[in-house]
Amino acid sequence: MIDTLLSGQLLFSALVTGSLYALTALGLNLVYGTMRVLNVAHGDLVMLGAYAAFWAFTLWGISPLLAAPAVALIGAALGYAVYRGIFQRLLAAGAGHAGRIEGNSLLLFFGLSIIVQNAVALAFTPNNRAYAYLDEVVRIGSLSMTGNRIAALAIAGTTCIAVALFLRRSVIGLAMRAVIERREAAYVVGVDVDLVQLASFAIGFASAALAGVLMSMLEQFSPFSGFPFTIAGFIVIILGGLGNVMAGLLAALVLGVIETYGVALTSANLRSVLLYGCFVGALLLFPNGLFARRSVRA
Amino acid sequence: MKSSRMSRRSLVSGLFALAAMVAAAGAPAQADKPLRIGFSMARTGMLANATPSQLNTYELWKEQVNARGGMNVGGVKRKVEFVIYDDQSKPEQAVRIYEKLITDDKVDLLLAPWGTPFHIAIAPVVEKYKFPLVGNTAASVSLREVKPGYIWFTTSAIPDRIGVELTAFLKAQGVKSVVVLANVLPFTKEIKNFLEPELKKAGIDIKLSSEYPPDIKDMTAMLTQAKQANVDAVLALAYPGDSVLYAKQAKELGVNSPFQFIAIGPSDAFFPKAVGAASAEGVVTIAHWAPRPEWKGSQAFYDAYVKKFGEDPDFLNSALAWMSLEILEAAVAKNGLNKEKIRAMISTETFETINGKVKFNGVQNVITPTAFVQYQKGRLQIVWPASIATGRYEPKKGW
Repeated sequence: MIDTLLSGQLLFSALVTGSLYALTALGLNLVYGTMRVLNVAHGDLVMLGAYAAFWAFTLWGISPLLAAPAVALIGAALGYAVYRGIFQRLLAAGAGHAGRIEGNSLLLFFGLSIIVQNAVALAFTPNNRAYAYLDEVVRIGSLSMTGNRIAALAIAGTTCIAVALFLRRSVIGLAMRAVIERREAAYVVGVDVDLVQLASFAIGFASAALAGVLMSMLEQFSPFSGFPFTIAGFIVIILGGLGNVMAGLLAALVLGVIETYGVALTSANLRSVLLYGCFVGALLLFPNGLFARRSVRA
Repeated sequence: MKSSRMSRRSLVSGLFALAAMVAAAGAPAQADKPLRIGFSMARTGMLANATPSQLNTYELWKEQVNARGGMNVGGVKRKVEFVIYDDQSKPEQAVRIYEKLITDDKVDLLLAPWGTPFHIAIAPVVEKYKFPLVGNTAASVSLREVKPGYIWFTTSAIPDRIGVELTAFLKAQGVKSVVVLANVLPFTKEIKNFLEPELKKAGIDIKLSSEYPPDIKDMTAMLTQAKQANVDAVLALAYPGDSVLYAKQAKELGVNSPFQFIAIGPSDAFFPKAVGAASAEGVVTIAHWAPRPEWKGSQAFYDAYVKKFGEDPDFLNSALAWMSLEILEAAVAKNGLNKEKIRAMISTETFETINGKVKFNGVQNVITPTAFVQYQKGRLQIVWPASIATGRYEPKKGW
């Protein structure tokens, strides 16, 4: 038992799971952070990304790793279209009524989610989809890893770090953080809030689609498998602190560790008890998130 | 009010008749308006991914029957059309749909929905309206508690019999130790409850027995222990969703026990695509059908399905769906739409199907043996029991 815990095999699994959670939650958190809008269709974007990779691979033999940037770009374009086409109008209609925007956007995304799921089911049948790609096993010492899981970890990890750097170093990134932390103040000092919101939609949708590509290499999926990703994303961003992107990344890793080590120490049957138990416990003890910075909420 | 309803109905039926005439143009004249056959199916929701192999089979059957000029209804050929509703993966929705199909749509015949909970949910409805329905994709010991009469269950993959037969199969292969990993969903949990006492009785050592939830995302901890147990057989009592996860992670971690049993999932064509043909090779799963010369029509069904859908049928669910259609067809050919006569015939007679002879005692098929199939050179072959085997069991050589 101790061997298992120290073997590195569990650490690898925890990192793979955690990095996918992190990538999924990243986009959800950006959109929430900048606009205080919960995208309940986020998991469906993950599902769409998975389908894109699946068709590219099975129809044209395109490697999911090559398809990934293209799928992410399509995701960004979709984010752009949804923001410009639907969301801007909603914001204008509810100007000055934050509560109304939140309520309407929840309904809007809920509707989008149902439309997307059923449109995909209609177009591609509700069949389970999956493919085998990069499934050779790489052995390093006692550690054995499948190629696609290594790739998923590397890409998800790199993307999360890249977005984190983008938020810290680039002008738009800094503007995004400004809007997340003090929306009105950012507006007053001349931050282009509209552009920031558009960027967060584009990055949010792109990262979800990318998470879908990576997920499609590891698991099977159907038009209705997006919802669990939405839920996982919610847990991560609430654990980390709503709108707090960096803390969300850490929370995702914590969740991955709980999921793998917690199960190893107890029983697989306790998976949900552990996950939601930690979630509820964290909410009770740290209502602003595990890694909330006091200065922001002061 | 009533008269307007009546006239609307006659208008609707007039339209149907017109449609049938248009459809039949050029073919020999049809004796009657189309035969309407209704059912519900999970087209959306969490179970929707499991239903296409059954719905495809229904569609294939309809196409073939209509190509033959229609379904034989007591000597008269009538074209078939389906009345399909989506039950959204909710059994209570299926109950409402079957009520509606019978009382409002007034369909001529009913086909089964997908899955055990749905069959059990609609059993009282068909009983209430005395409307015979041949079930297919349902398997549970609790089916035997359903009141016999108007519903029958074609499968022989009932968990208590799986427990006995799988143990006999393992013993015949000289298996002395096993690991049991069970999804806690009803069917696999039921199998576990019947299997483990049988294994103990047979003196097979259960080195590790572990349960897991349906939403499991990672099996590393469980499979590391399974590997360390170093047993002759791993019995993964999985559902389609986690069957792929098991196969992928067993490969990653090198869980190389020569007997690899995965309960549900591998009988469907998506499995070898999902895990790769090499990994699927040698996996044993539950099914009691495969094309076999002794079973008339079995090869023809396989070929027609592959031709229409470009992939193998599900050796469990598609075969069951087709069997239920064959039984219904035989009963309707002889008795027309007289429901009492149909019921009497299905309850007492023996039917020829693509899975051999079928006879019901109460609700249960008492002839078809409980069986297991194995991927051999990319095709599923029946490897147990010997009486219907199409291939010899081969130990799995790694993933």
